Amino acid sequence: MKAATNAGRLVRQVLSGEVWPALADRHAYRVGPDGQPFLLPGMGGVTLGVHCCDPATGYASDHLEPGASIRHRDPGANMALQFLTCVGNQVRVAGGPAAGALGHVIGQHAYVLVDFPETAAANLASGDPVTVLACGQGLALADHPAIMVKNCDPDLLARMPGGTRPDGRLEVHVAARVPAEAIGAGAGMLSEYANTDLMGAYQGLGEDLSLGLEGLRIGDIVALDDADHRYGRGYRPGYLTIGVISTGQCMLFGHGPGPSTLLSGPSEAFWLVDDPDANLASWLHAKPEPVPVVPSQRWSA
Amino acid sequence: MTGEATPPALRLVAVNLLGVVEHPELGGSPYRVDRDGRSYVPAGDGGIVLGLELGDPAFGLVADHAAPGACLVHPDPAARHALTGYACIGNQVRVRTGRAAGARGAVLGKRGEQGRVIIGLAQADLARLRPGDEVAVRACGQGLRAAGLRADVAVMNLDPALLPLLPVDLPGGADAAVTVGVRLTAPSRLAGNGIGRPAVSWDLDLQLPPPGDDGAGDLVMGDLVAVDDIDARYNMGYRRGWVTVGMVVHGASPLPGHGPGITPILTGPAGALRALPDPAGHVGLTATMLQLQ
Repeated sequence: MKAATNAGRLVRQVLSGEVWPALADRHAYRVGPDGQPFLLPGMGGVTLGVHCCDPATGYASDHLEPGASIRHRDPGANMALQFLTCVGNQVRVAGGPAAGALGHVIGQHAYVLVDFPETAAANLASGDPVTVLACGQGLALADHPAIMVKNCDPDLLARMPGGTRPDGRLEVHVAARVPAEAIGAGAGMLSEYANTDLMGAYQGLGEDLSLGLEGLRIGDIVALDDADHRYGRGYRPGYLTIGVISTGQCMLFGHGPGPSTLLSGPSEAFWLVDDPDANLASWLHAKPEPVPVVPSQRWSA
Repeated sequence: MTGEATPPALRLVAVNLLGVVEHPELGGSPYRVDRDGRSYVPAGDGGIVLGLELGDPAFGLVADHAAPGACLVHPDPAARHALTGYACIGNQVRVRTGRAAGARGAVLGKRGEQGRVIIGLAQADLARLRPGDEVAVRACGQGLRAAGLRADVAVMNLDPALLPLLPVDLPGGADAAVTVGVRLTAPSRLAGNGIGRPAVSWDLDLQLPPPGDDGAGDLVMGDLVAVDDIDARYNMGYRRGWVTVGMVVHGASPLPGHGPGITPILTGPAGALRALPDPAGHVGLTATMLQLQ
């Protein structure tokens, strides 16, 4: 049975933002787990060729943000955009060559991250304005008072499999389970801002760095053990947090693919079902057609 | 495990840096939200904190991230990061302006985000201190390669003169492990705010449970604490089989993901750096070592 919610009482607010450029400083390099210097793209701007259901790691990239990275120029308006925008919210490009293109929010990372079809993303650039239909903060589950909903569009929650079980637990399908040891940068921050980096997914960099998370995909719904994200992100035995992988590959040590928070509460309030199809692509974002070459490396004619 | 050849020792330099005593800052709302969803007003988070000293319990006060002394900042963000990065525990400080001018003290630790240096003074001097007062920090210690310290153990954030006073045993020789007396060893899953950040300019909060009624499980300011499976050489992050030892520099916090914070001082493979927990008898950094009385 689908979980009953208060979705009918939520408001949908029209917010604006723009594609924010990738940022760097004159020192260029950052440092990897073994002190290796690197300069790699992925954060800010428009990152092409990586969408929901694609591997989260395995790229020559750092803090990979799939699709468009969105901010607002005004600091106060930007915090409203970052806090109020929820995973699954619709986004429309409001100007520039890609005007009219539709995408969906896949998470937050101090940017709002928006997955667009590759053809639309190819025509997006920094400065292009976007409009966000923000809805989801305040969403609550009538029959699961111990579980808090965070950053989740009510339409997304309605499309996700699972729901209220006869025993009263909330059934949630997850593509992966994450041990508490994996929690990296983002611990101690607000649950409505940025995300939680997961360590233990540094492909090819050493067995002593692995926590078995190299198989994560962008858009995967994951369960974080012993994580309480109801009022910020912290370690708490006996609590569980459900998130969606919204960022990918990192080289910076202590960082990694990151889930944005969707649900959090006592472990016993949940019933988890391991399901490889538990990915945003199953409900919101069509899997991209396989292509023989990497189209993102060239502009289309 | 055999240590690598020790690189030739380079002489350290000391630099005089200027810190400004911080005034605590709050946003438009006085409230923060604790791990159970209750709002609270954070007291003691930065600035000058009286009545909290080295040796006092981390969970003893109704406060948020309270540090034993005064926090120094700099109005220029880049200078503030440099102040935080270069200052080392044990560095001498001298108050330059205000009613406490001339008072001497020492660096007790550092905090992250925009950067803060925590200094200790005698309580009488601390009480004369005022936000905005200038304090000189004689920063020295980054780049330290102590004699007898094997090459695969990194030392950071520590004044060279303080190392011999701490319960750190450097037996010498490439195969002998460095041993460190600590209050407790925490598993890496307790590492909170600070993970993924540079250990030279950010502390690592430990999400420890509150101590029992008898105080068991508490830390005191200045304690050394080990964290398993954390490598702090280049940012702090998970690496199986490593150990990081840090010094407790501020107290507990009601915020989720936060807790008593340590400034890392040693990190290395567990075979090369061995922590010896002594929950009842451990003595870390004391006011006597720093001549703060």
